[in-house]
Order: sequence, then structure tokens, then C-alpha cells
Amino acid sequence: MSVKGVMSGERTGRATRGVPPTVTGRVLWSLTVLGGCGVAATPFAAGAARFWANWMLWFLYLLTLALGALFLVALEHLVSARWSVPLRRIPERVASLLLPLVAVGAVALGALPVLFPGARAEAAADPHLAGKAFWLGAPFFSARVMGCLLLGLLPLWVLVRGSLRQDLDRDPAFTVRARRFAPACMAIFALLVTEAAFDWIGGLEPEWYSDVIGVYLFAGAFLAGLATTTLAVLYLKGRGRLGDIRFDHLYNLGGFLFGFTVFWSYIAFAQYMLMWYANLPDEVHWYQARIQGPWLGVALLLAALHFLVPFFALVTRDAKGDPGRLRWVAVVLLAAHWLDLYWLIFPQLGRTPLGSWPELSFALLFGGGTVLWLRGAMEKGEDMPVGDPFLGEGLEFRL
Amino acid sequence: MNSAAASPSAPLPDNLRAPALTVGRVTPGSLDDQILAFPERMPPRKWYIAVACTGTVMTLGLAMIGYTLFTGIGAWGNNSPVFWAFDIINFVFWVGIGHAGTLISAILFIFRKRWRNAIARFAEAMTIFAVMCAGLFPLIHVGRPWLAFWLAPYPNQRGLWTNFRSPLLWDVFAVSTYFAVSAMFWYLGLLPDLASLRDRTESRIRKPIYTLLSLGWRGSASHWQHFEKAYLLLAGLATGLVLSVHSVVSFDFATSVVPGWHMTIFPPYFVVGAIFAGFAMVVMVLIVVRESMDLKNLITDFHLEVMNKVILGMSCLMGYSYVVEAFTAWYSQNSILQHTFLNYISGTYGWAGWLTICCNVLVPQLLWIRYCRRSYPWMILVALAVTVGMWFERFCIIVISLHQDYLPSAWHNYRPTLVDYGVLLGSFGIFFTLVLLFARVLPVIATTELKATLPGAQPSHGAGHGAASGGPHD
Amino acid sequence: MTDLNAGSFAVLGLFDSPDALMAAIPRVRARALGRLEAYTPYPVHGLDEALGLRRSPLGGMVLVMGVLGVVAALVFQGWLSAVDYPLVTGGKAPSSWQAFVPIMFEIMVLFATFTAGLGMLLLLNRLPYFGHPVLQSRAIRGITRDRFALAVEADGGLDPAAAASARSALEAAGALDIEVLPEPAAGPLFTAEGIQRTLAAIVAACVGAGMLMYWAVKLMPVLPPMSHILEQPRLNPQAPSTFFRDGHGMQLPVPGTVARGFLPFPARTPEAAAGMVNPLPVTRAVLARGRSEYQVRCAVCHGALGDGVPTLTAAYGAKPANLLAPANLALSDGRIYGTIVLGKNAMPSYAADLAEDDRWAVVHYVRALQRAQHAKDEDLP
Repeated sequence: MSVKGVMSGERTGRATRGVPPTVTGRVLWSLTVLGGCGVAATPFAAGAARFWANWMLWFLYLLTLALGALFLVALEHLVSARWSVPLRRIPERVASLLLPLVAVGAVALGALPVLFPGARAEAAADPHLAGKAFWLGAPFFSARVMGCLLLGLLPLWVLVRGSLRQDLDRDPAFTVRARRFAPACMAIFALLVTEAAFDWIGGLEPEWYSDVIGVYLFAGAFLAGLATTTLAVLYLKGRGRLGDIRFDHLYNLGGFLFGFTVFWSYIAFAQYMLMWYANLPDEVHWYQARIQGPWLGVALLLAALHFLVPFFALVTRDAKGDPGRLRWVAVVLLAAHWLDLYWLIFPQLGRTPLGSWPELSFALLFGGGTVLWLRGAMEKGEDMPVGDPFLGEGLEFRL
Repeated sequence: MNSAAASPSAPLPDNLRAPALTVGRVTPGSLDDQILAFPERMPPRKWYIAVACTGTVMTLGLAMIGYTLFTGIGAWGNNSPVFWAFDIINFVFWVGIGHAGTLISAILFIFRKRWRNAIARFAEAMTIFAVMCAGLFPLIHVGRPWLAFWLAPYPNQRGLWTNFRSPLLWDVFAVSTYFAVSAMFWYLGLLPDLASLRDRTESRIRKPIYTLLSLGWRGSASHWQHFEKAYLLLAGLATGLVLSVHSVVSFDFATSVVPGWHMTIFPPYFVVGAIFAGFAMVVMVLIVVRESMDLKNLITDFHLEVMNKVILGMSCLMGYSYVVEAFTAWYSQNSILQHTFLNYISGTYGWAGWLTICCNVLVPQLLWIRYCRRSYPWMILVALAVTVGMWFERFCIIVISLHQDYLPSAWHNYRPTLVDYGVLLGSFGIFFTLVLLFARVLPVIATTELKATLPGAQPSHGAGHGAASGGPHD
Repeated sequence: MTDLNAGSFAVLGLFDSPDALMAAIPRVRARALGRLEAYTPYPVHGLDEALGLRRSPLGGMVLVMGVLGVVAALVFQGWLSAVDYPLVTGGKAPSSWQAFVPIMFEIMVLFATFTAGLGMLLLLNRLPYFGHPVLQSRAIRGITRDRFALAVEADGGLDPAAAASARSALEAAGALDIEVLPEPAAGPLFTAEGIQRTLAAIVAACVGAGMLMYWAVKLMPVLPPMSHILEQPRLNPQAPSTFFRDGHGMQLPVPGTVARGFLPFPARTPEAAAGMVNPLPVTRAVLARGRSEYQVRCAVCHGALGDGVPTLTAAYGAKPANLLAPANLALSDGRIYGTIVLGKNAMPSYAADLAEDDRWAVVHYVRALQRAQHAKDEDLP
């Protein structure tokens, strides 16, 4: 497969077309169904709060993952990056997760009466919450969430669908349109991530507030999107697809992973240090619930997985472009992002971190479901955006 | 433009075609002749006039500073409860201006944006001068500046150590580190250019000076290898500094409990604001430089346009920060915080709040229009508005939050004195004088870096090698 | 042109494009004439591999020093704040690691940066070095401008035969100009001896600067404008003042000035004061005050029990009153007060020693002493 071949319309070499039933596929389906059974049993055997906490966690996890991938696509259009053009199809496919997430999010609204003090009727009587009871209440909350989820489909429509169409009609007008739309996409993205952070994370403890949680969730989201993209790129490369991707491209992916690991750590530490320093009662209780007692271990594990391990694993130049290194660091980062959301949400449930069959079932259901969805998505369109006028330049990119 | 990238079915539309980074034929030799000639010959008369003007303003400022040292801080308007005013506003303002230079030279280097090469040297120099201006203020705003060395943790007869828990001490370390790193980064970049100057001159005075300063640089390949590695590492480290230094400056405010100061978004918000203000200053200075030194073939319209796009992007991020802060003030249901935020737009200094929002968020939106991004009057208008707006933003944060905080019995308005204005103006005088001196004495464009990215600069052999020889952008 | 019969440091060939240089390298390398070095005005891609240069160790050095910087900053701050002189400031524990992180980061960057910059210059590139032969050559003008040079070097110099073959190899490879570089007069600065001398100089400079600073710091506070804080527009004791007619700064109070607690006493004799009423209530605090004042001022003559048995020896000569005597029992409060204020016989006035309230407290205490020695059955609980 050569650049010229790609440009002239040759299919990017691929082992199979469509998804034939393979052993892996069957195993995935079985695990997912098994997870589904566990999930269905959770509200009865482990309590409604547990069920909803897990559902919310996975909804936010996949939402941030998909939004992070979409951000990567929009960013490339915004700054007219060339090196990432060959890779762009991957995050576009990952972003397609936003479609089923609308339904998952709608179901997640069921968590409101269970986990969100502000959404209950008593909130109007609480003097601290009375002034914003209408904001925290179920009707407005639900409207905001659904509105944002639906709004998130707009960039998906413009950027991803347009990119897939460009495969077929090779019209550079899409690239111009995408470039023009990218700023609006950024604005939508800012709105969505900030709304998700303030509503879903902040709403769990409505008396607490921190204006950087939007940025915090963005950092985690971008990292998750990058990690998923990296894993998918390496997976496809291992399958013989995306053969033209070289050290130079992987190095840039690794560089982004490294840089945003540092960025996430910086935001996380800044928020913690500022609240620790001022020691104000209405802020500190949120951290006390998360770093005292048994939760301290989770917090330390989070710091290790989300900062120490990826930082030192990717600090050298060679490591940033090494496929093996990138693969396991991406896995660690995805686990760390899950742990991050767990650490944000689960202290609502109690002083002891809960981890047992419900969490495992949800992981099987949603994790399996995501892998199944992405396997299907990896067959959409070509593996590279063959219609993009800058594909050649991107493939020839050198550090 | 690399023709292999064009799709066979449709030619590349004009608005996708990336402009060249240099206009006309530029060779390494012509580049040297154009840029290195400036330090070698006498400057034009307008340079002398400019230095005279900025020098006068600088002298005025230094006189005002001297008066303050002689008389005491009572010469300023600081008083209870507004204990920090122009001094800290100016400090934060100038540190912020410095960040654009580091972003251009370090962060854009990491991202391999080649358009940075023509402007990096100047921007780095501006960083160093801005940090020098900034460092002046913490020194003179203490009651006894001659005891400023007490900030250093050395064993002393007082038996005291410095308070490492104070953000003001973190500032000392952060700003000094920033200055040291920026100076080292700048000097290393200058080394090959100083070597060029050394080899071009026969003057008995200049040659020894350039020889000494260039440390005997000879362009050997093994030296370049280590040099490039050091430069890349320094760029990466300086990137970390851009984030951390202005975050530490923001900690001066955010670690306190003053309403309107204790907002967790301050660290990234301040960094964005710094880049914003810095780019505006860089744009203004570069316009003057490219016109007066006739560098339009190297600092092209594309450079200015892309810098304006960065300004626009930062303006949107500032808008986001303002919205989130205002929302959080309401969401907190904290009446004192809400009162402070209302003070930003109404009350004694409400005019400053509106000025900030207009200058920082509204006026830069003009840059959505392509014509404005390329036309001097509009660019300068936006850049000036941003400079004023960012200064006033710090004014709002400091003065408005302090003049009415928790205890109404302590509320009091603030009036700056003439000495305050004099010192502020003087800092601009110091900055621009240093910039003019730099332009006279050292190459304003990093000729070596630019040479390496000219068309034909790198070997073009084989499919397995070579950056696209025509690829000026990335 | 240098005499080819003498030993040469290197033979240099000049090219005018990077392609020409890259093409020449394998051809000259194939002749295996010695070490190859290239001189270029800017870094050329692929040159390192073509010349067979080893990877730069700078990255590892910087990583190590960066980590060292973090650890050093943590230990430094921790020791100063938590061990050497632990202070609780702002309600934060002395060993608050959270507060140390910003400086740890900055010191990390500082260490790493200086390792990168100075390590590259001094250690790896051995700069500054002004004696390298290429700096004196014809070619250097072109090298820092737009020419690319390939040099054949050998340890210990090239003998004439080797130099001649190097020359022909470079000509065959397409060099525009060939130059022979003579041996340098002096080696690089960074020999062990050179480093030792430099370090000694730095230490000496630091000591000198330290002493200078010490002297300056001692001197500075007494120089203007720092000394202005000592000149304050206030009146110091014993200082003259032009404000008063007599030129004295210290003035007596205006006649008739009365100190608080020392109002003028209306009576002339203790008997005339007999009608005064004790304004203080009989409380534990008042009696305690009265007791402490009595023990200080009165007990020395009137005895601890008020029985007129002094602690003074007979050499003293006076006979203090026995406050427990029946005649004194009948005295009114005001009468005792008057005696305290005006004195009686050998007893001086205690008006200056005791403020009004204290005098009345002593009166209460004397009454308590009298009652204690003449207790009645009803007084018992």
C-alpha cells in the first residue's frame, strides 16, 4: 500500500470486510451478556444507590471518552494539523459512541432522586439550596442533560459524517467547512464538558462548588480519548491496517499523552492544594470524604496511575513512540480515568470504597458493549480519511 | 505546494493552500545579510528618537521609584483595605506579558510549528525584559527593599527561615527560575547567531566581544547534536514553566479567602490571560519591527494572522472563564461572593469591570473577520484593547475584591496617586527601551533557526528520509 | 597555504549545499582515512547517522538531575520547615507537603535546565574553547553563513601522506575548496586542571562576594534613605524642644494636675476623715488585693497579723501601733484610710504607694485581721 495507491482510491489493505463471527466476538458477546445479568441484579441485590452510581460512572466514563475523541478531531481541524490526518478516522469512529450515549444518559437521569440531594423535594426547604433549587431540580437538570447530549450530536454530524462522505466524493470543500465549524465545535464541547462536570459531579454535593471541575473533566476526557485512539491505532496497525503510520506519528500521540498527563495532574493538584490551603468548611468536606480513611488508598492509587506511572513511562523520547510502551500506558490511563470517576462519585455511597460483583458486572456490560460497538465502528469508512487533501502530507510527516 | 497531496479529482482550493513562510527568494546568505547587518551598522535616526522617548519615560519611572524608596510606600495610594494595588497589578501584568514569548519559542517549538522561527528570538527577548520589569515590583513594594535578601533561605542571626508555606515565597522561586531559564534558553539560541556575527566582522572591538560571547561555537555536527537535544529539553522544561509560573502567581490570590480570589479556576485562567496579553504585546511590537526594519519578507502577513488567531482563541477562553466564574458565584449561594461579583459590574469600580469585559471578550471578536486579522489599524486596535483590558482585569481582581470584602466597617475606596501612574508608565519605558536596545545590538530574528527551515535547507534524498523540502509549514 | 610536510590537525572540504555534503560523506567514509567531522551553519537532518555519531546522553542526565532537584527541594523545605525550626503558620502543620510542591517543581526545572544548558556547553561540547583550528580558518566565514564543511581528522594529527589522500578524497567527492588546518596551540579549557582552577576561582569569588555582602549589609541600614526610619518627628526623653518657651522637651504637668486614682485628699487629719465610707464591697478579690498590699507595705511594721510585732529589729526604734488593740478596733474605716493617706507619727504617708482602691482594700483587710483575732462563736461555720 503506497501513498499514491491510497490517493488513487485503492482500499487501505484490510484483513476482513465486515465483522465475521469470530471466537473473540463470541467471547465478547457472552461476557457482555453476563455483565448485563449482573447489572440487572444489582438494584435488587446491592441497592438502588449502588446501581445508579455505577450507571452514572459508566455513562460519564464513556461520555468523556467519546467527547475527548471528538475534541481531538475538532482540534485537528481548528489548527490545520497535518501529521494527524492519517489517524483522524480513528477518533471519528470512537466519537460515534455519542449516539448510544444519548440513551444511556437518559437512563442515567434515574439517578437523580437517589444520589442527588438537590433534585429531591426537600431541597427547596434547605436554606443552602433554596436559592438554586430550580437549577438542581429534576426538570431543569434533565432538560439540560438531554439538551447537551443532543447538542453533542451536531459536531458528530458535521465533522464525522462529513469526513466519511469525503471518502467517497473527495471534495476538499468539506475540509474548508470543517475548518470553519471547528471553533463552534469547541464552544459546544466547552459547554458540554462544563455542564457534565457541574451537573453530574458537582450535583452530588450541591453545597460544594469549584469552578475548575469543567477543566478537570476536560483534562481527563481528552486523555481518555487520546488513550482510546492510541489503543485503536495500535490495534489496527497490528492487524496490518494503518501500515503507513510510523514512529513519528506514534511519537506525537505519545507526546500528547505525556503532556496531558502533566496537565491533568496540574489541574487536580491545583484544585486540591487551593482547597487545602484555604481550609474553608464549605469546600473541604468534599476532599475529606475522598482522602480520609479507606479512601486515602484510592486517592494515592489514582495519583500513581494517573500521574506517576504514565509520566515516568513516557518521559524518554523513545518511549513516546514505542508501540509496546504506548499500548500498556494507554490501558493504564483508561483504568486511571475510570478510577478518577470512581473516586469522584462513589464517596457518595459511603466511607468504604465499594468494589465487588456489581462493579465487575457493569464493567463487563459497558466495557464489552463499548468494545463491540467500536469493533463495528472500525469497519465504517476507510481506515484513513482518503478524501482529505492533506493525507499525503500527513503520511510523509517527519519529526 | 507538494503536488502529491492534491487529490486527483479536485485541485486544492485557495483557502486551503497554506501560505509560504517567507516572501521572495530567501537564502541563508541573504538572510544573514538582511538581519545581521543591523547590529553591524549605525541605526537610523528614528531609532535614536524612539530611544530618547522611551528613555525619558523610563527615567521618569525610575525617578518615581527612587522617590518611593526615599519616602516610603505612603507615596502610593495603597491603604487599608486595598493593601495591594498598582504594585501587584503591574507585577502580574508584566509576568503575564512574558509568557507569550516562552509559548512562542518553547511550546510552538515542541509542536514543530515552523512559523515560530521568524518571531521566536524577539519574543524570547520580550519575555526576559518583561520578567525584569515584573521583578521590579515585588522588590519596591516592600517597606524596606534593602532587606529584600531576607527572602532567601540562608542561615542568619535572626534564627529564622523563610516561610515556605507562603505563595509569596513560591513567587520568588518561580519568577527567578523563569528568568534564569528564559535567559539560558535565549542565550543558547543566540550562540550560533553570535558565531555568525563573529565571523562577519573584522572590527577590533566587536570581534573579541562576539568571540567571547559565542564561546567559540564552530558549528560542528557533534556539537549540533547535543545542542539540539539541549534545546528540545529546554523547550519542554520552559513549557512546564509557562503553566507553572503564572499558576504560582495566581496562587497569591487563590490561596487566600478574599471573596472573588479563592476560585479554583484561577491557575489555568491566569495562564490563558497571560498568553492573551503577551500575544497582544508581541503583535504590537512585531508590527513596529517589521515596518521599521523592513522585515516584511520574513515576518509575513501569515505570521501576524496566525498570532491574531491565537489572540482570538485566548479571548474565547477568557470569555469562558468569566462565564464560569460568574455562574459559580451564583451557584455558591454565598452572599458575600455574589456581592463581590456584582461589584465587578456595578458600584464604584463597575466601569473597570465593563471595560475589562469589552476589551477582553468583545473587541477581539473582530478578529473573526479575515480582513481585520490582516489589517494594521484593526490589529493594533485589538492588541491595544487587549493590553488595556488585561491590565484592568488585574485591577478588577485586586482592587474590587479588596475594597469591599467581608467586614463593611473596613470598606474603603482606593485612589492611585501620581507616583503610581508614574511607576506604571516608567515600567513601559523600561520595557521598550530594553527592546530597542536589543534590536540595535543583537539579531532580532534567529537566523540559524530560520535558515534550517528555508526551502532547500535540508537534504532531500530517498523515500526513507528528508522533510519535504518545500514544506515550510506544519 | 600551510606546509603539507608538517603534521596537520585536519583537512577540510567545503560544499555549498546539504545534499552535496550528504552525498560526499559516504564516499569519504569509504576511504577510511580517519575521523569525520562536519561543520554546518545549522543542524542538518540525517547528519548524525551519516557520521555515525552516538546518541547524546543529555536526556538521561537531565532526567536524573530533575529528579534530584525534586528530592532536594522536598528535603530542603521539609528540614527547614518541619525539623530545624518548626512553626505553625496559617494553621498548617509544619510538614505540609502540599505547600512544598510548587517550589519542588520550580527547583526541578531549574536543576534540569542548568544541567541541559551547562552540561551541553561545558561537558559535552567543551565550550568555551577559542583555540580550535577551524575558528582561524578561511572556511569559518562560510560555515557560519551558508557553506557546509567536511573535515577529516585524526588523533595526534594527520601525517602528510594521510593529508594528501584526504585532500584527494574530498576533491573526488566534490568539495569546492580544500583547506588544511594546523594543529591548535592549546587544547580545550576543560582539562582536570582547568576545572580545578575554575572551581577554586568560583569558591574564592563566592567567599569574596559573601564578605562584601556582609559588610554592605552591615553598612546599608545606616545609610540614607534606609536610615530615614530612625528620624521620626517625635519627642524623645531628655531631648530639647523649641515648642516650649523654656526649651525643654520634658515639662512638668500643669499645676493642679491630678493623677488618676490619686485625687486630692479632702481631710487634713485622719480624725477628720473618719466619716468616709469604704466604697469597695467585701469580696474575695478585694480582700486578696488588700492582703497582698498589706503584706508588702504594712506588715513590715504592723506585723503579719496586725499585732504591732514588726519584722524589724529593735534597732529600728519606733513602736508601730497594734491594730488589734481595743482602741484601734473601734476606729472607723475612714479613720484608718486617713492614716494611710496622711501618715501618723513615724508612719509616713502611703498615698503615693497605694491608689485609692488599694487603700480601701487594705482597710478591708485590716478589718478582717481584727475580726480574725477577736472572733466570736457566731463566726464559726
